[in-house]
Amino acid sequence: MSQSYNRGLVEDFGRWREFSAGMWAWIFHKFTGWVLIGYLFTHIAVLSTAMEGAASYNSTIQGLEGLLMIRVLEVGLLAVAVFHILNGIRLLMVDLGIGLESQDKSFYASLFVTALIVVASVPTFLGGGL
Amino acid sequence: MSTQKQKVETEEKETTEQKPSAERRLEKKREKERERAEQVEADEKADFEENAIQIKVFRYDPEVAAKQEPRFDDFHVPFEKGMTVLDALIYARDHYDSSLTFRHSCRQAVCGSDAFFVNGRQRLGCKTQLGELEEPVRIEPLPHQDVVKDLVVDMEHFYDQMHAVEPYFQSEDTPEASELEEQRQTRENREKIKMSSRCIWCGACMSSCNIAAGDNEYLGPAAINKAYKFAMDDREEEELKQHRLNILEQEHGVWRCQTQFSCTEVCPKDIPLTEHIQELKREAVKNNLKFW
Amino acid sequence: MAERYSSFAPGGTSWLLQRITAAFLIGVLAFHFFQLHFVTHAFEVELAGTQARMENPAYYLTMVSFLIAAAFHGVNGVYNALVNQGIEGTQKTALKWGLTAAGIVLVVQGIRVANAMAGVSIV
Repeated sequence: MSQSYNRGLVEDFGRWREFSAGMWAWIFHKFTGWVLIGYLFTHIAVLSTAMEGAASYNSTIQGLEGLLMIRVLEVGLLAVAVFHILNGIRLLMVDLGIGLESQDKSFYASLFVTALIVVASVPTFLGGGL
Repeated sequence: MSTQKQKVETEEKETTEQKPSAERRLEKKREKERERAEQVEADEKADFEENAIQIKVFRYDPEVAAKQEPRFDDFHVPFEKGMTVLDALIYARDHYDSSLTFRHSCRQAVCGSDAFFVNGRQRLGCKTQLGELEEPVRIEPLPHQDVVKDLVVDMEHFYDQMHAVEPYFQSEDTPEASELEEQRQTRENREKIKMSSRCIWCGACMSSCNIAAGDNEYLGPAAINKAYKFAMDDREEEELKQHRLNILEQEHGVWRCQTQFSCTEVCPKDIPLTEHIQELKREAVKNNLKFW
Repeated sequence: MAERYSSFAPGGTSWLLQRITAAFLIGVLAFHFFQLHFVTHAFEVELAGTQARMENPAYYLTMVSFLIAAAFHGVNGVYNALVNQGIEGTQKTALKWGLTAAGIVLVVQGIRVANAMAGVSIV
């Protein structure tokens, strides 16, 4: 057999229109996971100002909260966390062997509920102190 | 009748040219046959143009200069009701390009040779109805595997993973010769492993799994399902089940499955692969808890 | 292919722990979000308020468990995502130790911060 042709992985994401529900779920869960772990490190770093006393802590947090960009990012964080939680519940069900027949419907449901929760929370997140 | 009139006219003409009447009759007969044949051909062509299906087939051949860069060839295949993708490929090979290369054998979905990537999904050629597909029908080799030529992919890696799980019955516990007993299996146990025994080694599932694509050492859904069939078989002893679980619970065994469900969706034999893998994960966890 | 040296299956334990921490995190993260965005508003947060919450031993313990669970779940998640993508050999070993170190640093720093907030002297 002479050399064979390796088409590599790149062709995959070019075919995004053909992705199934389960595949989208996997991609989104990974993506939201990376965002959350990145956030966790940042969060602990910000909270570390507490070790320097009230003035540092308060001004850092209130200063950040005063920026519209931060408020918008917080809504994004909420979306990411809520999706990761809801899809995570779906995955726990799959791991327990419950509801495998409707696994794609449960993915769409978690997307929908995420959207609902995010939209409902926007007033609280963007209001007050801005 | 007009024919008679014509006959009379030509007969008159021909009498002036002095041709024998028998020859004249035969000439006329041949002419009519020719006309009829042309008419039939024209009809068939019109038919063909209305009912031909266009297929685009991936071509690659490292030994032919024109095909060293992969390309797509168009074939127009006459449509017949009930025609499958495999039928179309065979027609294209037989009538248009005899160098078109693809694996096929039983044409009834039991040999597993003709798994292709058709219109963006892994399917068996012999089991996919051409009429149900959107034109033009794109036929490509299975993704995530090296292409040898045209639609033929290298299946060695797939076979390696299958063999790694020892896919054969290993029970040493044969009954005494004097007793002439069989190793019996209950109906319920047979039911349990029924779906997992349907695997035809086509490779569609492994080619649809993103983890199998990224992680070369992952056993893959087909291999794990094969292991499931034997691990869950009551006729094998407990130590054998332990041995099988040992293979499955390595880092690149069942734990790599991220429940993407693509394998279950593309399996041409409708095997619930993800469900079986999940069951094995639970078995492995329960098995390990015993040691704590 | 079957090289097992102990009954401790590396894949199995981290898989199970990932699920257990997941179940715990669902509850605690939801609680944390509610606490810091609906009960108290984020823009109103001051050290005084934080200290009042953290001085409650039950709340303090919950937050520390939250930190440990989240650190494990996140670091383990990243490790597995990369193994799925096919990382192997030296790169993989380097990643494993790097991630473990990052996780430990995160937990240690987090506990120091928690102590500062709760007024505990071990910093």
